[in-house]
Amino acid sequence: MNWRIRLTWWDNSLLAIMALGAVFGLVRFAAGIGSIANINNAYPWGWWVGYGIMTMIAIGAVGFTMTALVEILGVHRYHSFLRPAVLMGLLCYTSAITMLMVELGRPWKVWLVLVSWAPTSALYEVGWCAFLYLTVLALEFAQVPLERLGWSRALGILRVIYIPIMLLGVTLSHLHQSSLGTLMTLIPHKVNVLWWSDNLPLLYLFSAMMAGPALAILEHLAAARWLGFAPRMDLLAGLARIEAWVVGLFLAFQMSDLFYRGAADAMLSASWFAVSFWVEIGFGLLLPLALLLMPEVRESRRGLATACGLVLAGVLLHRLNVAVIGLRVRHWETYVPSIGEIGITLGITAAALFAFGWLARILPIHEEFSPPQTSPRPSAQPAGALQGAKGILT
Amino acid sequence: MSTATVKPKAKAMIQDNTRCIGCRACMVACKSWNDRPEDKTDFFAGEGYQNPRDLDANNYTLITFNEVVTGEKPDWVFGRQLCMHCEHPACASACPTTAMFKTDLGPVVFDESRCIGCRACMQACPFIIPKYDYESFAPKIHKCTFCADRLEVGLEPACATVCPTGAISFGDRDDMVTEAKRRIATAPGTYIPEIYGLEEVGGTSVLHLSSVPFEKIGYITGLPKTAMPDLTHRWLRATAPVFAVLYAVFGALNWIVRRRMRRQGHEGEHT
Repeated sequence: MNWRIRLTWWDNSLLAIMALGAVFGLVRFAAGIGSIANINNAYPWGWWVGYGIMTMIAIGAVGFTMTALVEILGVHRYHSFLRPAVLMGLLCYTSAITMLMVELGRPWKVWLVLVSWAPTSALYEVGWCAFLYLTVLALEFAQVPLERLGWSRALGILRVIYIPIMLLGVTLSHLHQSSLGTLMTLIPHKVNVLWWSDNLPLLYLFSAMMAGPALAILEHLAAARWLGFAPRMDLLAGLARIEAWVVGLFLAFQMSDLFYRGAADAMLSASWFAVSFWVEIGFGLLLPLALLLMPEVRESRRGLATACGLVLAGVLLHRLNVAVIGLRVRHWETYVPSIGEIGITLGITAAALFAFGWLARILPIHEEFSPPQTSPRPSAQPAGALQGAKGILT
Repeated sequence: MSTATVKPKAKAMIQDNTRCIGCRACMVACKSWNDRPEDKTDFFAGEGYQNPRDLDANNYTLITFNEVVTGEKPDWVFGRQLCMHCEHPACASACPTTAMFKTDLGPVVFDESRCIGCRACMQACPFIIPKYDYESFAPKIHKCTFCADRLEVGLEPACATVCPTGAISFGDRDDMVTEAKRRIATAPGTYIPEIYGLEEVGGTSVLHLSSVPFEKIGYITGLPKTAMPDLTHRWLRATAPVFAVLYAVFGALNWIVRRRMRRQGHEGEHT
């Protein structure tokens, strides 16, 4: 099979950003975290955890939300979204693990998590679940290259274990997406009342579910544009209607949580916290919800891209608000991410985008697009998803 | 409530700020026992003559200099920062590799060989005590150890041995609680009627006494009286049952979906 692609200016830009990130990464490993990062004794996590891990994992929820929609809720018309969703999930989780290796003080010891017994630690659960789920994603996605390589024995094994593995992936995702929120329930005295809640695990889980379909829609539009196929607007409109429900329900949940625990007053306080809160709610939930409720937006590429982009930005801001912006330790201590911290995350994100663009051009990821210079895919697998609809029948 | 959970041999320390003269002998003893390098100091690093500004990787304890108006004139009132050695430490509960743990004698200690450097303990600590040496190639968590190694062989913590005014007392926690209460009861004019650490976050192994409200001498106040790890335990202990239930429910739904598809397929209605 052909692994080569013609690099576009997009690929070259991404490669340039990756190179920049690699330079910052080299400095970090040559001279220590303190040499390039502003994280400090009061703010030990910062942008690397808020964006590089928490947001990456949240938008990586696209893999399990689309899988659950198709395989567990049985909405089979979105079957063609599965392969891109699982690949995005795989790349998001790989990005998060890469970030972790940069962010940990002693990354060479990370395996200790897997040989420890620390059931009281939310991070322990996140570590185990994310590790197992990354394996699940790799096994799920492996079918695509194996099919292309024609390794039918390995493919046969993967097909047999697909359903228990897929169920495991969806279950693990529920656990660790919520555990990332559990992590923050431990510090009610540090997180502003607007965001700290006993229900953070559920808020994290539901907002991750909200990020999933938004990223799936955005990816389909982007792939249609850059791979040159006509987007399935009928499917996107349907998915957008589902997304509107999810956004609306999340908004209702977040608001009722605020009122229920008596923190609603803080929404009207004259502080930067309240400003950040309203940007999150206004641009991340209310505006996209209003957009998604309009039929003309659901049928327009630009409208869908705007609404879904806002949802993803809203999830990013939610994670940052909980883990960085909403955190106050003592009055003299501050944190603003450094160029180096941002540079490394940009490099990792660019690498994930580059990898996606490359794989989407050499492998049958999108049903609407056949990679060139290769024989058409065997007709036994027409559904083009992880396990074709007909594969289940046999 | 908190005293009921104390293990029989557990030790504790009283930091009686009313007796502190700000000589910082405890800081010196701490540095030499823990082999921390010297700092370049200057006057006015913090408020007044305090030095350094805050705890860090080289300073495990710190006497804070606080200007407080007592009566009619401003006065130095000293406070002390060090690890509180919680009865139910949030840092240890947050650690994914059990590198941070509480010993039976009371100290919350750190095992460098098990640390992955995630800094969850720093984020978790309600007293903002664990510090990090970000400049290092193999960074470590740095904090007061309660001189766990000295306690093991029956010695007192280094700081307690050097205090010239008896501001630091060391003994069994039950005795220390009794002693702290006795001091407040016998000299109500000297002390505010509060023992910082008796109930904070479920009780700690360091008990602070003061002549002025604790928030005036740099202490973090308003902390819950319940053990912090409970906040996450409520969720985490549900992990195994939630896993089982979700897996079963998803499996059942998937089975229904596949059966429906199989039927549709046989009828040729599959879309």
